[in-house]
Amino acid sequence: MVKSPRVSDVNEDLVRKLARLLEETGLSEIEYGKDGWHMRVAKALSAPVAPAVAPPPGNDGIQVEDDPEALAENADVITSPMVGVVYNTPEPGAPPFVKVGDKVTASQTLFLIEAMKVFNPVEAPRDGIVVRIMVSNGTPVEFDEPLLVIE
Amino acid sequence: MFEKVLIANRGEIALRIHRACREMGIGTVAVHSTADADAMHVRLADESVCIGPPPAQQSYMNIPAILTAAAISNADAIHPGYGFLSENANFATMVEEHGFTFIGPTPEHIRIMGNKVAAKKAALDAGIPVVKGSDGSVDSEELALEVAKEIGYPVIVKASAGGGGRGMKVANSPEELRKGFKTAKSEALAVFGNGELYIERFLSHPRHIEVQILADLHGNVVHLGERDCSLQRRHQKLVEEAPSPALNDKERDEIGTIARNAMVSLGYRSVGTLEFLYQDGEFNFIEMNTRLQVEHPVTEMICGMDLVREMVRVSAGAPLGYSQDEIHFSGHAIECRITAENPTTFLPSPGRVVDYHAPGGLGVRVDSALYSGYVVPPHYDSMIAKLIVHGSTRNECLMRLRRALGEYVIGGLDTTIALHQRLVTEPAFVNGDYDIHWLERFVDEESTD
Repeated sequence: MVKSPRVSDVNEDLVRKLARLLEETGLSEIEYGKDGWHMRVAKALSAPVAPAVAPPPGNDGIQVEDDPEALAENADVITSPMVGVVYNTPEPGAPPFVKVGDKVTASQTLFLIEAMKVFNPVEAPRDGIVVRIMVSNGTPVEFDEPLLVIE
Repeated sequence: MFEKVLIANRGEIALRIHRACREMGIGTVAVHSTADADAMHVRLADESVCIGPPPAQQSYMNIPAILTAAAISNADAIHPGYGFLSENANFATMVEEHGFTFIGPTPEHIRIMGNKVAAKKAALDAGIPVVKGSDGSVDSEELALEVAKEIGYPVIVKASAGGGGRGMKVANSPEELRKGFKTAKSEALAVFGNGELYIERFLSHPRHIEVQILADLHGNVVHLGERDCSLQRRHQKLVEEAPSPALNDKERDEIGTIARNAMVSLGYRSVGTLEFLYQDGEFNFIEMNTRLQVEHPVTEMICGMDLVREMVRVSAGAPLGYSQDEIHFSGHAIECRITAENPTTFLPSPGRVVDYHAPGGLGVRVDSALYSGYVVPPHYDSMIAKLIVHGSTRNECLMRLRRALGEYVIGGLDTTIALHQRLVTEPAFVNGDYDIHWLERFVDEESTD
């Protein structure tokens, strides 16, 4: 998993608002959340890396954490089997393969990952219900990157 | 000049490439396996992309994954480092076909020099002295015996698709040759997928001396002197030095000029190293490496140049900007390759680096991706650091090396630092009086003490 946060995952406006609030109120930490995720913005003393290393560029001493809500016992995280661009529809304009709340069956196509002009399907390993989707259409994904959670 | 370079490698060389790019204001993309998510160069690079699980075949040698990572990160060029795909002509071709610049030699030259039979022929045609041997490949035992009779025993049977010391068999007599030929053929087929063999005169006490060359896309070529890499164990280099204690200025200049002129006639580009076995005052070409080499720092130290920077510059189309007359060698440099292995048994020792303290001071350079708390993964090459020292004379270099080795702390793993410390006080090494068999004998003697 990539260590440096990627812009597509972070609501910039929200972070800026919270950071400004921190400065204005003189607080050292603000936590805000809704819909099963929350964000904590804190005046950090150092970026979360090994002591010998400079913090990853772009952090400016602010930590942004995605709280991984405890997964249910029977939940499976489907990760990307390869590096490429993920698509959630069979073709542009068509409805997505799956949405949160959908029931899926084993081998059902969940996404397409494109690499070098070849589209590879990502299939559900078993029957279940989609409870979370972590990627948006047309974004690059790394090997092993979490795509979707099935319960 | 490139805006963004993708580093298709790992470990110390990936860090090396990142550093050169960073100093040139070029953005870096680090592709890595899951095992290297916490690697130093991954942390320092501008972007990182995980491309696969630990096994090299599925990550660092996974061509589609690397090309895809380059596409999604919008890289302009790819630097392959050494090992992995650096001498894979197909990879170089595909990189260029996909619109990226391959920072290295042309796919054609990689292909020619990758086949050791073709390489020898190309060298011969370019006026480079080659080892006496078969004229091309040897397909049958009978032909092998004929060739051996002509060039004289002892001979060595080598795989065309091999190189770097792999797939070789020495034969002192026709009986040994018969056996060795059969074995070499099946091994070559199994390991390289190509059973083609050739035969050379076996030299009993040569030194391994190699010449570094650098060329731009405009026909300008320079040689950057030689390196002596005779200290090897099982064909793996352990210590390298520049210049070679065995050559005088006249010989140095001669072989450098031959190498340089050959590269001009080949129309070569980027870096390359011509490897020779030097015995009784004669140079015998054995192979050419069409990539950056592990031991490039010793050349950098005596020439005052950044070879990775030059590779990037020439691949972007810049002219060298200097001629052979402007290349000056200053002082002496020695490099010790430190591996995560037991210094006497050579058993691999991956694991967590608990304490890390690198030596410093004037003329001391450490090329390593280690840091305190880093976990050396078991899946890859065991080299974890290169300690390079430079001095104004070879003696000063030796003193400095002794001092630096004494300061180096890598706690939590077995390392070969202790072996290097023993080497550095050995009279043969101190006097520069060693050949390619010396280290193996030294290590064997040590282990039987």
